Amino acid sequence: MEVTISLRGHLIKQFGGEQERVVEVPENTTAEEALKLIGIDWKTARNFGFVAINSHKVLMTAQLKEGDQLKAYPKISGG
Amino acid sequence: MFGYQNKVLRIDLTRKGTIMEPLNMAWAEKYIGGKGLAIKYLYEELKPGIDPLSPENKLLLMTGPLTGTPVPCSGKLAVAAKSPATGTILDCSIGGHIALKVKYAGYDAVIFEGKLSKPGYVLIQNDKIEFKDASELWGKGSHEVEGILVEKYGHEASVLSIGPAGENLVTMSCINSDYYRQAGRGGIGAVMGSKNVKAIVVIGTGGVKVDKIVDVTNRLTEILRTDTVSEDNMFIYDCGTTAFLEACNDGGILPKNNFSDTTDEDWTKYNGDVLLASKVGKRGCGSCGLGCGNFLKIGDAVCEGPEYESIAVAGPNAGISDPESIVKANQVADDMGLDTISAGDTIIYAMEMTEKGIHDFGIRFGDKEKYIEYLKLMAKREGVGADLALGVRALAAKYGGEDFAMHVKGLEYPQYEPRGSWGMSLAYAVSDRGACHMRAYAPNEEVFAASIPPYTAEGKGEMVYNLAIYNAVKFSMVICDFWPLSLERMTEIMTMITGKDWTEAEMNAVAERVINIARAFNQREGFNRKDDTMPKRLANEALKSGAAAGQKIPQEAFEDMLDQYYAVLGWSKEGMVPDTILCQL
Repeated sequence: MEVTISLRGHLIKQFGGEQERVVEVPENTTAEEALKLIGIDWKTARNFGFVAINSHKVLMTAQLKEGDQLKAYPKISGG
Repeated sequence: MFGYQNKVLRIDLTRKGTIMEPLNMAWAEKYIGGKGLAIKYLYEELKPGIDPLSPENKLLLMTGPLTGTPVPCSGKLAVAAKSPATGTILDCSIGGHIALKVKYAGYDAVIFEGKLSKPGYVLIQNDKIEFKDASELWGKGSHEVEGILVEKYGHEASVLSIGPAGENLVTMSCINSDYYRQAGRGGIGAVMGSKNVKAIVVIGTGGVKVDKIVDVTNRLTEILRTDTVSEDNMFIYDCGTTAFLEACNDGGILPKNNFSDTTDEDWTKYNGDVLLASKVGKRGCGSCGLGCGNFLKIGDAVCEGPEYESIAVAGPNAGISDPESIVKANQVADDMGLDTISAGDTIIYAMEMTEKGIHDFGIRFGDKEKYIEYLKLMAKREGVGADLALGVRALAAKYGGEDFAMHVKGLEYPQYEPRGSWGMSLAYAVSDRGACHMRAYAPNEEVFAASIPPYTAEGKGEMVYNLAIYNAVKFSMVICDFWPLSLERMTEIMTMITGKDWTEAEMNAVAERVINIARAFNQREGFNRKDDTMPKRLANEALKSGAAAGQKIPQEAFEDMLDQYYAVLGWSKEGMVPDTILCQL
């Protein structure tokens, strides 16, 4: 199935500076697995923040559906 | 210690006299500068129970040992007084270049006492102090006043000024500098207005002595390149705080319609990409390496910013999605000298009151023209603005709507919805100046990272304590919020600049002392656990949409978090600082 993976902040390096790509992933892929497919391991990535599916923050174990947008943020600070 | 000027300028406005006195270095060793040292001075010098708008209150400008040095992000100034909005201690942090000018004029601190007999401004040119007539400036907006004074004294002058709101003693008025930088909260502008001081002009041409200048310069250059202007922090340069808009929306903490819900389906109409497409300029504060300021121009609306807070309150929390209106609201609030958060929160409370038929303030969610009109009326206390200038707490007492009166101790809520970040409800409750997001910023841990579960009370006392400790020492060094440097780095910098060996344990001790003395000030004014509150809406109404849909914060969970926080600090169940700590402050 196809999902859109959208990256924020310094994570866009993973897409060579592009913010978003449509990616083919297997059925029932989790957010964590989808990110691994594009080369991001959130547990070891520097300053990783959180993920959202269709603009709702979710756990890394959340499963994607056809057409979903998965967004990954670096940790931001300030206020 | 190096880094200090060892001099305080005390200005008696009543007698139009000045005294230069040594900085109390024993206090400086215990509180460093900025927030901590300003609160220590006020704790020692203000009589308990004074009227914050009387001549007995004092207005402090406090730098720190790093101010005026090349330490990155060290260009801010603490501005402090007893708050007329809350009756608590109040310290604000203002950017721009004014802090450097105060330091270069030869002072660690300037203390304004008493009251001018008629409107005036104070001109500080190094050691020459003059009291000037401001009858031609009184009534003018902050932007015009700053333009006139910079024209008169040249671009080496930095200006602090108030708008009509400060003149009219509106307790949500701010102090402006560099046009769009503010000491924003708690009615600090009204304190200046109560002293009949329209502006403070500072020209400083001196320098600051630091230990081992060559070594310091080399090391700071390295730190700037590797730790400040780093890949992780570049979002601040690129986007400023507009970056928080999308993250807060997705994280379920972007409030909508006076905190009745979160997550705005229209947010893409005014998100960071939309706003920054209208960028016409860029700016940073003195000594800054990050340059967060973005000038936007949309139609005839122009401002530096708007920052996340100002966007959220004049946008989704007001049911407004027009970017020009959001920018215009920021521009007008700044010029009128109003805190965008408190003024905005008061308007959105009025919107909900009208929508619910409790009291007709003549404004409803989405009414963007009236939002801007009401800001002007509030600053001048005209028409409906005379009522609205009272703020949310007083209006709720007068007209009702207590369930959705979003404030703590009379200071209106910042724009981070606590039902999506439970620790934030605790942080707002125990903040020393009322509801403030700058004392402990819980979303950093609960929303923008995967580290701590957001919808539980467990561990939140310690989490908020750790966040508060970090900010207390950072704001006492007077380092900008946007550089997330480690305690280890802060300790290194303090040692490098002052020439005294600091340890991380000593820095933490300073931070805890700062939290305690702020609490002690408030305790002396009669504040205790009963005042560390959470708006009823957060306990009674579950969020309907967004990532935190279904969440509310049970009152017992909130009380549990309070218990935890007091316990970590060694305070009593009533939130009182014990004598064993008080005697060490």
